[in-house]
Amino acid sequence: MKPAAFLRLCLLPAAGMFFCQCAAPKSVATAGAVDELDDYADTEVADPLEPLNRATFKLNDGLYTAVLRPISKGYETVTPKLVRTGLDNFFENAKYPVRLVNSGLQGKFRRAGHETEKFAVNTITGFGGIIKQSDRLPHLANIPAEDTGQTFAKWGIGHGPYLVLPVLGPSSLREAAGYAGDYVLNPVNWGVFQSKDALQYIPQGVNTIRSLPAQLEIYDQARKDAIDPYISVRSTFIQNRDAAAKE
Amino acid sequence: MTSRFFLLITAAALLPLPPAFANPAEAQQRLRSAVGEVLAIADGSSSSAAFASKVRPTLERHISFDTMTSRAVGVGWRQFTQEQRKRAVQLFTSVIIRTYTEKFTPGEHPQITYQNAVSPAAGRVDVPTRMVYRGSKYNVTYRMENIGGWRIADVVIEGVSLVANYRAQLGPTFSKGGAAAVISSLEQSVSRRS
Repeated sequence: MKPAAFLRLCLLPAAGMFFCQCAAPKSVATAGAVDELDDYADTEVADPLEPLNRATFKLNDGLYTAVLRPISKGYETVTPKLVRTGLDNFFENAKYPVRLVNSGLQGKFRRAGHETEKFAVNTITGFGGIIKQSDRLPHLANIPAEDTGQTFAKWGIGHGPYLVLPVLGPSSLREAAGYAGDYVLNPVNWGVFQSKDALQYIPQGVNTIRSLPAQLEIYDQARKDAIDPYISVRSTFIQNRDAAAKE
Repeated sequence: MTSRFFLLITAAALLPLPPAFANPAEAQQRLRSAVGEVLAIADGSSSSAAFASKVRPTLERHISFDTMTSRAVGVGWRQFTQEQRKRAVQLFTSVIIRTYTEKFTPGEHPQITYQNAVSPAAGRVDVPTRMVYRGSKYNVTYRMENIGGWRIADVVIEGVSLVANYRAQLGPTFSKGGAAAVISSLEQSVSRRS
């Protein structure tokens, strides 16, 4: 074999590897990475108020156990599954303005159109939204729900400091402002702005109670098996919100 | 000329191709088969405790708990001795298996729809799925990595990565008390409800 041919053969694997590596998707390992494919962030959100947040977390935890969990259990006991599903569907359908406005504010007009179609289908053929008929239509079955916190994220606004709100639980400055936006856009709460009559609080109260089992389940999943329940809940909340903002 | 061409082709064929060139469908197929095996075990189990003990060898085959544990600890992993690493992996495996087996009610099958797998980095394939379980919908993404074959390196449920969640907890634990503190906290977690 001529030396040049031999050299070409010897260099071929190296050249092949070079081109293969260039064509391959790049790994995005972070500074504190354990290995090449480790792209996990060490810090997910700033938490300058951690001592206060931890105290509120502890307070909320007691409140959930002593007050909200018994209410949730009672609701699940006295309300048949079919009724609970119907109420969930109805109140989620009623939140249509939240999803519509925020889809529009994020420039997702196609999604806004789908939301309108979904609302019309469920309201007209699903007895006011009690039956989620839209699940039968593949293009309407899995529309990611937009909210004000996601809109702020889309606009490039960061979380700001992590906050644990009394009763409401994990949040951040951005998400708390987003929550206020969602509250105003949700027709279930509109009665409260119109009159001080105690009856106006009924839809809001029913909505709160019907959402308790799902909310507490998410909280329990994040808390259970945690090394540090406070950090686990914080990480779960921030990751979930960041993922929702990207959808 | 012909023999030289043949040699070149042979040498090229013997090149160790990086994992990015593996078909994502292969990783997805591997995942499907792992899920199928786990569901078959769930069907034959009368309780979640029985399911947890039966399913462990299968999960250890399909999930890279070593990778998961090292990344859950973070950069501090480099300071663990071999013995400490072994213990940490053992404990972390127990915590994860318990967490996930408790979510299953034997006899109730989740409906899983596999979506298009993507390869965001060499040697990694993310397989997004939509799962319907006991009337609730979940977006679950399985992070598969080529670690001596395609194995699960993370599970992301509704955007929440299992590994990232534990890293947020174990990273500060290591900073405060080193490897001993990490192992101690994992031991406490394992013994808490067993």
